[in-house]
Amino acid sequence: MATPAQTPNGSGSPLPAIPHGVGNSTGTPVMAPSRQHAKDGASNSSLGTFGVKSGLAQMLKGGVIMDVVNAEQARIAEEAGACAVMALERVPADIRAQGGVARMSDPQMIKQIVDAVTIPVMAKVRIGHFVEAQILQAIGIDYIDESEVLTPADDEYHINKHAFKVPFVCGARNLGEALRRISEGAAFIRTKGEAGTGNVVEAVKHQRAVASEIRKASVMSEEELYAYAKDIQAPFHLLKETARLKRLPVVNFAAGGVATPADAALMMQLGCDGVFVGSGIFHSGDPAKRARAIVQAVTHYNNPKLLAEVSEDLGEAMVGLTITDDMKGGRLAKRGW
Amino acid sequence: MQQTGARQDVTVGILALQGAFAEHQVMFQKISSKRKAVIVLVRTPEDLERCDALVIPGGESTTIALLARLAGLLDPMRQFLKKKPVWGTCAGAILLAEAVEGQKKGGQEVLSGITLKIARNGWGSQVESFEADLEIEGLRESNRPFHGVFIRAPVVLDLLPTLTSPPIQIISRISASLLPSSIVNRPLDEDDTDPTDPRTIVALRQGKHLLTTFHPELTKDCRFHEYFVTECVVPSLLEREKEEGVLA
Repeated sequence: MATPAQTPNGSGSPLPAIPHGVGNSTGTPVMAPSRQHAKDGASNSSLGTFGVKSGLAQMLKGGVIMDVVNAEQARIAEEAGACAVMALERVPADIRAQGGVARMSDPQMIKQIVDAVTIPVMAKVRIGHFVEAQILQAIGIDYIDESEVLTPADDEYHINKHAFKVPFVCGARNLGEALRRISEGAAFIRTKGEAGTGNVVEAVKHQRAVASEIRKASVMSEEELYAYAKDIQAPFHLLKETARLKRLPVVNFAAGGVATPADAALMMQLGCDGVFVGSGIFHSGDPAKRARAIVQAVTHYNNPKLLAEVSEDLGEAMVGLTITDDMKGGRLAKRGW
Repeated sequence: MQQTGARQDVTVGILALQGAFAEHQVMFQKISSKRKAVIVLVRTPEDLERCDALVIPGGESTTIALLARLAGLLDPMRQFLKKKPVWGTCAGAILLAEAVEGQKKGGQEVLSGITLKIARNGWGSQVESFEADLEIEGLRESNRPFHGVFIRAPVVLDLLPTLTSPPIQIISRISASLLPSSIVNRPLDEDDTDPTDPRTIVALRQGKHLLTTFHPELTKDCRFHEYFVTECVVPSLLEREKEEGVLA
């Protein structure tokens, strides 16, 4: 029986930290528990390893992942250059407005989206709802988002994500939360932000928190790291690896409130590897044009002249919300433990 | 001080529009070859002009093709392919191909740098992504296997050599038992030992160009990056220097 994957990176030799995203490039990928290739006769091949899970996230870097609710929107996203789509029944802004329990989408709707596009398709499950995750794995989804945007199914435990062949992305507000999710098997992290508001302030806050805590940890002695791990409730070995790499050991995207090309470039300049856009695209005046502009903004995030060009004449942006405790739908980022 | 002759650095461009370009950069910085590889992240035609060679990384081929068109890079890259070496990994391999199966609706643009037909995402969804050890011809310490990471990888369907195209040299194959059942229409037991089945090809060269359907940049093993510099980039540079010498 193989040792369960404890560190996503193994204990690789030190690499120079580079500012924009090495993701999990360092390690010989650690194998997930005994998942031998079904068809394996002779050669030693393996499916669903942490290496291929975090590897797919690395292939998405520098890209935009767009929320879509049907096949037609998925095609618009693909044509606009999305590197993946997130299939869901209602975008976060509508979940907020309509209220009620938000659950995993109808598998038939997800399959229609899978059939409509050639890029990877992701879908959301409720926090802790491992059966929804089993269902999505069975229909061959490419990535699962264990998401605070849906109503949590468990108020204490997240899904044991090591037990799946399909990789998971999870939201985080700070370094401790990110490392707890990675230790549960998440191969990809995103900021929580505040979904469905069109207001980027929370995503900025979460990204700055993670970056600042990593900077702090990177100059700590081993003794200090032990105490800090306890402080932020993170597994020590992951904190140590993060301090050495000077970045999260997996890919880290921005999510929750991105509505304009400038928002997307802001998150990239703050150190994110890519961007999720939820309600921001299909709740705007000209979705196709805005989607393409955000895709270009993520690639050329350091080029203000090009950002100015792509920001021109995009039509109306989604109506934003000021973030307060008593706003409609409440604060979603508080969900998750 | 300007260095001369065989001691010059080589400039390797990495197409940095979307995908795993940073990982390639880290690998090239680790290799120790006679000629140091200086890295340029290519986002504009001006960046491309400075390069002796180009790497097209993994990512989403539809996204990279669109961004390349918007950045005015498609035609400069097609011109580049006629003169200088290009290495495509995974999505990059799709862009290098002449024909693609499983394109997005409405088709997608390719560079036609290597005369072959390739199937996008040949193994199926992400749950079919896998790792396997590979034997690779011509690598340093070639008896040590190279760890292949295949992520939603493409499958080579057919080689399409023409009278004028340079010969295709196959440098690695996987076991036919690992091929996806959706691609293998013939029963496996008939096909298993067929040494000419193009679908088992995972790495090949045509002229100066290199193609891998897997991701050497996701391992710690930089032998493939060394191979590209010493076997593709440096010889092509020497050839060009010679031609320029003759012209002068």
